[in-house]
Amino acid sequence: MTGRARARSRGRGRGQEPAAPGAVSLFKTAKPVMPTPPEGQLVGRGRQKPAPGQQVVILISISAGFQQVKIGERGGRRRDFHDSGVHTRQLMEHVKESKTGVSGTAIELRANFMRLLSRPLWALYQYHVDYKPPMESRRLRSALLFQHEETLGKAHTFDGAILFLPNKLHNTETVLCSETRNGEKVEITVTLTNELPPSSPVCLQFYNILFRRILRILNMQQIGRHYYNPDDPFNIPQHRLTIWPGFVTTILQYESSIMLCTDVSHKVLRSETVLDFMYSLRQQCGDQRFPEACTKELVGLIILTKYNNKTYRIDDIAWDHTPNNTFKKGDTEISFKNYFKTQYGLDITDGNQVLLVSHVKRLGPSGRPPPGPAMLVPEFCYLTGLTDKMRADFNIMKDLASHTRLSPEQRETRINRLISNINRNADVQNELTTWGLSFENRLLSMNGRVLPSERIIQGGRAYEYNPWTADWTKEMRGLPLISCMSLDNWLMFYTRRNADVAQSLLQTLNKVSGPMGIRMQRAIMIEYEDRQESLLRALQQNVARETQMVVVILPTNRKDKYDCVKKYLCVDCPTPSQCVVSRTISKPQALMTVATKIALQMNCKMGGELWSVEIPLRQLMIVGIDCYHDTAAGKRSIGALVASLNQGMSRWFSKCVLQNRGQEIIDALKGSLQAALKAYLKYNNCLPSRIIVFRDGVGDGMLQSVVDYEVPQIMQSIKTMGQDYEPKLSVVVVKKRISSRFFARIDGKIANPPPGTVIDTEVTRPEWYDFFIVSQAVRFGCVAPTHYNVVFDSSGLKPDHMQRLTYKLCHMYYNWQGIVRVPAPCQYAHKLAFLVGQSIHKEPNMNLDDFLYYL
Amino acid sequence: MCLMRTHSRADLTKTLAMTTPFSPPLYMQRYQFVIDYVKTYRPKKVIDFGCAECCLLKKLKFHRNGIQLLVGVDINSVVLLKRMHTLAPLISDYLQPSDGPLTIELYQGSVTEREPCTRGFDLVTCVELIEHLELVEVASFSEVVFGYMSPGAVIVSTPNAEFNPLLPGLRGFRNYDHKFEWTRAEFQTWAHKVCRDYGYSVHFTGVGEAVGHWREVGFCTQIAVFQRNFHDTMSNAKRLEPSVYRLMYRVVYPSLSDNNIYQRTLVNEVLYEAQHLRQEWLSRMNMDSSNNAHFCAPPLMDVFQHGLEGGTRDCQPVYQQGGTICVPLARVWSSPRVRALCGSVQRLREELQVDSRVRMSADGTVLILPAAADDEDDEEVEEEENVKAVSGVANNVEEDWDRELGCYGNV
Repeated sequence: MTGRARARSRGRGRGQEPAAPGAVSLFKTAKPVMPTPPEGQLVGRGRQKPAPGQQVVILISISAGFQQVKIGERGGRRRDFHDSGVHTRQLMEHVKESKTGVSGTAIELRANFMRLLSRPLWALYQYHVDYKPPMESRRLRSALLFQHEETLGKAHTFDGAILFLPNKLHNTETVLCSETRNGEKVEITVTLTNELPPSSPVCLQFYNILFRRILRILNMQQIGRHYYNPDDPFNIPQHRLTIWPGFVTTILQYESSIMLCTDVSHKVLRSETVLDFMYSLRQQCGDQRFPEACTKELVGLIILTKYNNKTYRIDDIAWDHTPNNTFKKGDTEISFKNYFKTQYGLDITDGNQVLLVSHVKRLGPSGRPPPGPAMLVPEFCYLTGLTDKMRADFNIMKDLASHTRLSPEQRETRINRLISNINRNADVQNELTTWGLSFENRLLSMNGRVLPSERIIQGGRAYEYNPWTADWTKEMRGLPLISCMSLDNWLMFYTRRNADVAQSLLQTLNKVSGPMGIRMQRAIMIEYEDRQESLLRALQQNVARETQMVVVILPTNRKDKYDCVKKYLCVDCPTPSQCVVSRTISKPQALMTVATKIALQMNCKMGGELWSVEIPLRQLMIVGIDCYHDTAAGKRSIGALVASLNQGMSRWFSKCVLQNRGQEIIDALKGSLQAALKAYLKYNNCLPSRIIVFRDGVGDGMLQSVVDYEVPQIMQSIKTMGQDYEPKLSVVVVKKRISSRFFARIDGKIANPPPGTVIDTEVTRPEWYDFFIVSQAVRFGCVAPTHYNVVFDSSGLKPDHMQRLTYKLCHMYYNWQGIVRVPAPCQYAHKLAFLVGQSIHKEPNMNLDDFLYYL
Repeated sequence: MCLMRTHSRADLTKTLAMTTPFSPPLYMQRYQFVIDYVKTYRPKKVIDFGCAECCLLKKLKFHRNGIQLLVGVDINSVVLLKRMHTLAPLISDYLQPSDGPLTIELYQGSVTEREPCTRGFDLVTCVELIEHLELVEVASFSEVVFGYMSPGAVIVSTPNAEFNPLLPGLRGFRNYDHKFEWTRAEFQTWAHKVCRDYGYSVHFTGVGEAVGHWREVGFCTQIAVFQRNFHDTMSNAKRLEPSVYRLMYRVVYPSLSDNNIYQRTLVNEVLYEAQHLRQEWLSRMNMDSSNNAHFCAPPLMDVFQHGLEGGTRDCQPVYQQGGTICVPLARVWSSPRVRALCGSVQRLREELQVDSRVRMSADGTVLILPAAADDEDDEEVEEEENVKAVSGVANNVEEDWDRELGCYGNV
């Protein structure tokens, strides 16, 4: 697995299993919280200029929506990252009037949004420009047109055929006469074709382009879709890391106004070339193993070239190529060495370095097919992003976090600084005023609601938790669990070195399990040699059909042994298992806490239940879906589906599928949903009358396909349970990676909003039935709200109930005695997909489907 | 007018490419001519008149050869605005700042106007420019460029009219915006007059030669390279803000001549080296023995007394002292990257001693780094936060949303 894949999955997992120091460092929770995922979705920015012929096509379809129109500027793929144009709310009768809830107490918030202000009756006027005689060159067209700047005004955007002006010309059709330098007269007809209101899609696209221009005026560098400030970097010299602070910005039509949403973002860059990296790798592993190690480390990484701002993915290494090889440029053969010298004045110092291969998918100039694989010189390629090794290095991550994890106060200050820069910079103001636009110079103030905190039900008793910490570790101490599996036949594997810690773990487990209500027999202790093969052999020899639980104490947090245990016990010999890194249990003072968490986790894995909250809806099945993409290695995506089996949301059915190439994740999950319904039927003797699907893992710009494709597939899948079976269905798209942030003022200080804060006005989108919930509490940094978008709902459930149910479900993740960032089934699905994608790479054995074996 | 110029450049090249095979294309050869000149004479301040799409500037930015100030002037601000961002530093320019400084500026203005801030340059290039001027303008152009600006050298290129018969299908001038196209004689007459009037000497050359007996028509593009005969008094003059031209764009490239950047780069490099030595030492210690954990070997002060430049330099070991790892400065100094940044150990020491990110021993011979990785678990602070009432706890009344919906049914 590569850094990139891990970054992604982490990026997603971020925040739920979190930052709490002292949390049980079992294998998977051992790694610290990630900062902004560093891997850039760096897109190339060679823009294709449309051939003159294409422009006509664009013109015809201009009113069809802005996907078809472009106001030319740079930017590679044109994708609707903001999912605008997906209108789902209008199809849901019960939220047409109002989609806001009522529960809870009001709280004043500030959000990282600024209103875009335009003078009254502002509009963008779209003109079609015609030349007689026709002029081919786009540059000539614009030169001829702007001989009439006094008529057209200073502010204009012209792409060769379509002209946008902030002011209306006197006549709908204006005929202008220009003259080329050799005296040829050209008649230019400028015809008004459209008057675009401020909220029209083309205008929105226009604002975003304008804002990008502004960021460039402020000397920000574009990387991918975002802009960063290169003048104030921070470095981690040990690994030659450079971090640039920057901003993510979008201008969209929100509930009541057009606003700019801007959040702080960071970019991790490395001042190390691939050649440097190769040198040190060769030094580490020797000539013999170098090619293999090199391929393993480098393939899949994204590099940035020195001579332009382009990024490439390393797909292969050309071991038989050096810079002295030649390639065809035009009609002549030229060596890489000479090419770089004459083109960029760059000298290659190592003539023996091998070259890197990248299969470029970008189209060639003017839409020609991709030019074939690109050969890159390692010396001129900078590495980007973090490697696994860096991620595993606690100190780097801490250093990174100390700069990238901003407190609410710091974050607000940074955003305010951007606002004041925009307002102070004369060039920026000039640009804005010529277009008749401006930004409100403060953050949006608005109201949210804090939902009442839930009562946790456990062992016939109910208790409350501290609403600020959103954690009930202390409260549940000494209380019996809802249901306990007794441990009669279980094994503990350890290495000789860890014999002592194994013994003390065993004793402590015994001590803590009593009050919870878990009966525990003594485990069978098995020593294994510290090698992967001997561990596997020990498992094969000792794990039997009646074994209830296998505990493995791992000497280090190296991945291979963990993978080996999980692979064997999830696929070949289905048995719940628990891995513990010896370091975690080596501190006597922390052992009680750790053992408690382990005991809870083991109980869940065997089918026990810990706690519950009141769910005021009956015959309800909640489904969570998430997926894991291992794109770097070109592996298949993995989809996981987790569905509730009982009223208390304490038992779950889980299924994980590996997606085939070219297949949508939902195709593979259809069968899983049917299996889940059958399992529900088995447990409850009836099918659910309501199904609510929480779909996580939907990328930017994928919403349309969820609505158009996945929802019908889900319905179809339900239909297979019987023609007259028509449960009420809701589909909610869950999004964690969003740039909206909210700040509260608590005791005069800027702070995170408390857990349970719901925001369903102002910053939501008018075309959606959506809301935000801040569900978890974080100790450091800014809390990230989660966005919920109900894309389909035949339940008739009030928005208030939908919000509260969602929040209740955030209480039900058993690996964390507190509130998590997403509904529990999503978190479970994430965990499962991650385990399969990272360690098992196969579909787990179906005997485990009824257990939370992947916790 | 200059806008048209580049246009013509491209069109012309296209025509030529089909008929007279200039390879590389003629416009590239013209740029290459300037680049070669820069490589040989290493001017510090260069100004390109009629820079239009800034292609030449973009090339010179890569082939710097010591250029510190690169200025482009064009009469058309639209084309400058459109293209100016192509001159911005690349990401890699920030990741690996260059040694010498570079500032790029773009102005909107005309070559026939006197602009004080254009004086004191080492090289002025006017590639395919003068033929776009009316003849009267050429006179004031000469006066402004040679008389007023009086740069160290001027490169002027223009079409050679004698070559035109070889360009198939060409009637009149090569571009509709050309006001004239000179023969070699005409060009040389003008050039010699300029030399006489303003104290320059000139030699003629060109790019794009015809083949065979056609050679005698001369180059397709004729080039005059002027050198100033007198010593210059303005090159060290203070930079002025433009008073006639309009500044469109200015960017200062990150470079090691900026003290902050230099300091940052050096410290990063030193810390990288030191951390590696520390890491190496730690892993060797771990491997050596798990029993003899407290290995303390302050390696004898007399090693140090032999001086850092001594032959024992590379043998100076890293050692532990209490909770810190000590890395001798000499070991860090042996890194070629550090050497390249810093002329001498003395300078290195001085630079490091004033930096707050580096801890050094009092005598400046040893870098001090923490021994253990910072403790991985932040001590869990059992914070008894005073519970603030945020919101009421859900009341005990059991809710039933189904009933509220009025669809309480078949349970």
